[in-house]
Amino acid sequence: MSLLFKGRAQGAKLSQISIVQRIQMFFLSHLRQSLGSLGEMWRAGAASLMTIGVLGLSITLPSTLYILVKNVEQVSAGWDQASEISLFLKSETSKQHIDQLLTRINAWPEVGKVTYIPADDALDEFKALSGFGDAIAYLDKNPLPPVVLVSPTEQHSGPTAARMLLEKLQKEREVDIGKLDVEWLKRLDAMLTVAKELVTIIALLLFLAVVLIIGNTIRLNILSKKDEILVMKLVGATDAFIQRPFMYTGFWYGLLGGLLAWFTVICLLWWMSASVTAVSELYQKQFNLTGVDFSTLLIMLSTSVLLGLTGSIISVKRHVSAIEPK
Amino acid sequence: MIKFQQVSKTYPGGQQALRKVDFHIEPGEMAFLTGHSGAGKSTLLKLISLMERPTVGQVLINGHDLNEISRRQIAYIRRDIGMIFQSHQLLMDKSVFDNVALPLIIEGYSHKETSKRVHAALEMVGLRDKVKNLPIMLSGGEQQRVGIARAVVNKPPLLLADEPTGNLDPKLSMEIIRLFEDFNQAGVSVFIATHDLGLIARMKYRTLTLKSGQMITDGLSQDF
Repeated sequence: MSLLFKGRAQGAKLSQISIVQRIQMFFLSHLRQSLGSLGEMWRAGAASLMTIGVLGLSITLPSTLYILVKNVEQVSAGWDQASEISLFLKSETSKQHIDQLLTRINAWPEVGKVTYIPADDALDEFKALSGFGDAIAYLDKNPLPPVVLVSPTEQHSGPTAARMLLEKLQKEREVDIGKLDVEWLKRLDAMLTVAKELVTIIALLLFLAVVLIIGNTIRLNILSKKDEILVMKLVGATDAFIQRPFMYTGFWYGLLGGLLAWFTVICLLWWMSASVTAVSELYQKQFNLTGVDFSTLLIMLSTSVLLGLTGSIISVKRHVSAIEPK
Repeated sequence: MIKFQQVSKTYPGGQQALRKVDFHIEPGEMAFLTGHSGAGKSTLLKLISLMERPTVGQVLINGHDLNEISRRQIAYIRRDIGMIFQSHQLLMDKSVFDNVALPLIIEGYSHKETSKRVHAALEMVGLRDKVKNLPIMLSGGEQQRVGIARAVVNKPPLLLADEPTGNLDPKLSMEIIRLFEDFNQAGVSVFIATHDLGLIARMKYRTLTLKSGQMITDGLSQDF
């Protein structure tokens, strides 16, 4: 494309290069520049490694936290007795009515499991566990009501769903009071929300740091190549052409940093899995730490590539155009 | 080919580098620009290569007003102008081949075509056997010829040279000028800035003389 000499465009260029060839050359030139950037990072050695390290670790922290939160969520979702509802029945309810109630409740779609504890059984249990055994013997009648334990199905074990079920149960004629120990579930839920927000905040701050670090690294790269950029501008290179290798550098930093983060997260999870298993054994729970699945890896890599590119784009936009031959 | 119409250039500091300069270099012409240091030679060349913009007046190349060229278009303008510098402006960590190939790579030539043209350009300047050398291993004259090869490798219709013989002895200087004459024979317009009056005196070329930013003579070098 010659702006000044109309005939020249044909003479110098079009006769040798067809459209297909030109598209081919475009990709070839991109490939060449991207590999060139990679080669340059390789030659820079330790400096590149440090940048990749900073990037990788910055992405490792939010990734690990994210995976931990995800696991905790899974654990809490697995605790279905978390929203077990205790129904204290009216003491005078007859056995027949209780059986009817049990059959009715069992038919509800929200209800997973129903356990009936007769008043006498409850008293025996209380005697055995409380240590008031002898004192209770002096009572002339059983003060404990019959109890029905209702476990909601998994979809209805969340705090809100469980509360709705409780309200529905309380409307039953035989039920005196119903109790749902939902408070700690709510607390856990709130804490998880806080944790998630914390992870987001930490991630955003670290991502910002990564963009700044990459931006600064690329800025130093640009400044150290000032002479070369000047010469290229003198012989007719566009800003876009000069910027491309630096943007590829940002891309590579992002990709390699992301891979490093992935590797580090795997190591961390492997290291932690022993202690996590110990904890879950205490709770008599079968639990395996979920690691990095393919989609998480993809998210991590694309995030870090995006960060690398953002940093480099900010830097080249500011600094490449500022270098002009004088 | 190059036309200046009442061009003045004042730098931000208030220093007036050019005052109402008027001249026209025809297509296919070879001309020299001379004057003492600080007379405005470099400024004049910078206006042609769009490193600077005129404060007043118009610079035209092939009839196109450079004032109408946007910043983004500058790169494309420079592809039409082969530029040669006193300080060579070579990439010292790249081979002679890579240096000369740079304009072609920027324009997106194929590898085969690039190689062909680079070898042809180096053949013209007599450096065919130094293709793989680094510029630092070459003498000053050879480095300047690498710079010339790079300037002509994409066959621009216009060559600009800023003190191309600045650091060379008279014999080497003459060789460089002979090279420019060869290109001029091939139809390229050549415009050379130099303060080497002795060199100009030996040739019959149009010479423009600047003094304190004003064009004081314009004619054949024999005339003075």
